[in-house]
Amino acid sequence: MKITQREVQGAVILDLNGKLTGGPDADMFRKLFEGLIAEGKKQIVVNLEKVSWINSTGLGILIHNYSSVRSAGGDLVVMRASERIESILYVTKLNLLFKSFENEEDAVRSFTQVSR
Amino acid sequence: MVKTNQVEHMTLTIPSDLKYLGAVDAAVQDLARELLFSQDAINDLGTALIEACSNAIEHGNKFSPQKRVTVSLRFHEGTLTASVKDEGAGFDFEKALREEPDPDPTSERGRGILIMRAFTDGLDFRYEGGLVCELTKLRDGSAPAD
Repeated sequence: MKITQREVQGAVILDLNGKLTGGPDADMFRKLFEGLIAEGKKQIVVNLEKVSWINSTGLGILIHNYSSVRSAGGDLVVMRASERIESILYVTKLNLLFKSFENEEDAVRSFTQVSR
Repeated sequence: MVKTNQVEHMTLTIPSDLKYLGAVDAAVQDLARELLFSQDAINDLGTALIEACSNAIEHGNKFSPQKRVTVSLRFHEGTLTASVKDEGAGFDFEKALREEPDPDPTSERGRGILIMRAFTDGLDFRYEGGLVCELTKLRDGSAPAD
């Protein structure tokens, strides 16, 4: 799993590339989120466009970091999930936890709408 | 193209490392496509098989480099059966199959059986010197994948 970080209108976009399956990914993700929260960056978009698949451990990684960001007063949303990943989020009811967006503009705008 | 009324069988053995999940996914996708499964059914089976192999590597073999995971794919009379065997001590699968998994939304674990059940037509476990997780997928009547 490779992660590229960029910022758009105050939100951090994390572009993931690969498979989200646990193992070393869990530690890398946790440290990345700890660093972002410590820097006060708490509006985070996880771009799943180039994530080919995810297993239950990968879902656990996302949930862990979602909880960390929410506890710090921020939010984590996902965008551009494939049909395959959307179906996993639906089956596990995590579509009720993660807001999911089809494009970056809507994902970034969601933070503004929440803070109003 | 394989003759889809024949019995087809293949076996893969992988090390206890998550990086090999892609190879398993590719193998089942290729076979199911040859057997004229629909793309939705292929994706579903791949998702469930990745979950089963992840569990075998992580919970069964505990990432041991000395242990292997064996994946058997068998097609017969319209049903593709994927068996995933680890070299671990197993778990109380009868209890797990009895319970309807409904984890707290923020719980980080407890969705593996839910995923495997949701994306297949059958899920079963048995212990044969290692845990065997068996997934079955029926070839449905929808259009086959290109």
